[in-house]
Amino acid sequence: MLGAIVIVGPEDAVSSLSSAETPEPVPLSIPTDRDGGSLLACVEVLGRSVLERVLDELRCASLDAIALLADDAYANRVGIGQTLQNASFLLVKDVWAGAADALKKYRESGIESSLIIRVSAYAEFDLKEAVQSHGEQREVITRVFSDQTALDIWVVDIAGLNLSSDTPADLAATLYATPSAHYEVRGYVNHLEHPRDLRRLVVDSLSNRCRLRPQGLETRPGVWMEGGADVHRGARIVPPAFVGRGSKIGEQCLITRCSSVERDSEVDYGTIVEDSSILSNSYVGIGLDVSHAIVQGSTLLNLERGVALDIADPTLIRRNKSLSMEALRTSTLDSASGMSFFVSAEEHRNETVARREESDASSLGDVRF
Amino acid sequence: MLVNRPVVIVQLPEQLNPSTAQSFQQEVEPLFESHRPRIVLDCSLVRSIDGNGVEMLLHCLEEAMKRDGDLKLAAVSPESAVLLELMRVDRVFEQFGTSEEAVRSFNAMPVEAVPQDAPWYSSVFGELGVLRQAS
Repeated sequence: MLGAIVIVGPEDAVSSLSSAETPEPVPLSIPTDRDGGSLLACVEVLGRSVLERVLDELRCASLDAIALLADDAYANRVGIGQTLQNASFLLVKDVWAGAADALKKYRESGIESSLIIRVSAYAEFDLKEAVQSHGEQREVITRVFSDQTALDIWVVDIAGLNLSSDTPADLAATLYATPSAHYEVRGYVNHLEHPRDLRRLVVDSLSNRCRLRPQGLETRPGVWMEGGADVHRGARIVPPAFVGRGSKIGEQCLITRCSSVERDSEVDYGTIVEDSSILSNSYVGIGLDVSHAIVQGSTLLNLERGVALDIADPTLIRRNKSLSMEALRTSTLDSASGMSFFVSAEEHRNETVARREESDASSLGDVRF
Repeated sequence: MLVNRPVVIVQLPEQLNPSTAQSFQQEVEPLFESHRPRIVLDCSLVRSIDGNGVEMLLHCLEEAMKRDGDLKLAAVSPESAVLLELMRVDRVFEQFGTSEEAVRSFNAMPVEAVPQDAPWYSSVFGELGVLRQAS
């Protein structure tokens, strides 16, 4: 029996172990330095975040149990709007202590091995092959590598781990420090360390350089649109490009060179979006030229110049006010208890199933993580 | 007779928002009353600029051009440059790394360097003028 634990946690897992204090809340603006990791993995890319894609893949693999543990500083990030079917989701102060608890429960329910993924990089590999390799190497821990660089993905024999200690740091220390067997990924890997990597993931996906497929339908070759996208007849979308659900592209706009406009965003009259990503729920004003950039709310990150601007003028860029009630609900967490669940999990279960079916119908092949 | 007019360097304020942009515009208005004004706006202190600030810059450029003059920007920070690009006005302005470079650009061909008694085309075609005369 095989289980999986997905961790959305502190960026520097090892260094955070030495700190007894609660980590500082992660800012919701675009990270500009090498502090991406889990934060970037929670950002929607072509309709779905890397985290959501990982969970989808685990569900498809029919594992015996899946647990998602998120550092409470990531609450808003994880609450992008997806529910977890056949999985438990916990917001915890210490993800590693939570993971140790989950492993203990797995052991009690007869699960021998578990996959542990701290969501940071996007990696395409064969899960079955990795588990098989772990079994063949007869080590307690097998760590996944890409080009000799360790990824935060492990396959562990639960019985071989010492889970009796009360110190939460122990599991992370064991995983990071213990010599382990290697499993080398042969597929595409994006480390998601910098927003530049997020753009690269978009470009690679739209250019078919990886298996990550945009959500929605390919309305014409290279142009992907999700349901509810509203593109004016006088706008021009040059493939490859992506327009997310509920987004609006105004008259005389030009979306070109692997650009993506994520859900609930608006690009207003005459604006050019070139080699850029407009992240979800952002408004880009009239007659602008967004090039080589990532826009999130009122923040613009110019990747060419390496400059992040927080623009106060709401006529230029801002958080999109026309948020649908659905998006508002799904981004809200019921934090009344220590272990919070999404308020609208049940409401959106059916919608999630429908979206999955739509996605499956439009995808060209299996997306692996 | 050609006269080398002075180039005026004006320091832009740290913030270019609606109120500061308006007061700055009133401050520099007299400079545009002269014939062929040559102005350099030094942006080295600018920390933030919004749509009103950009509009003010465009207004100043327009005023200078009305009187056959020119307005150039110097020491534009990367942040301001990104905003100018975003608003598609970066191509409208000549931009220089420093105020000195901007001033020099106004005097790219000093009047003293061109003999005033020579035909107008000699500074450009030089030898060609001689050839034409010979033929």
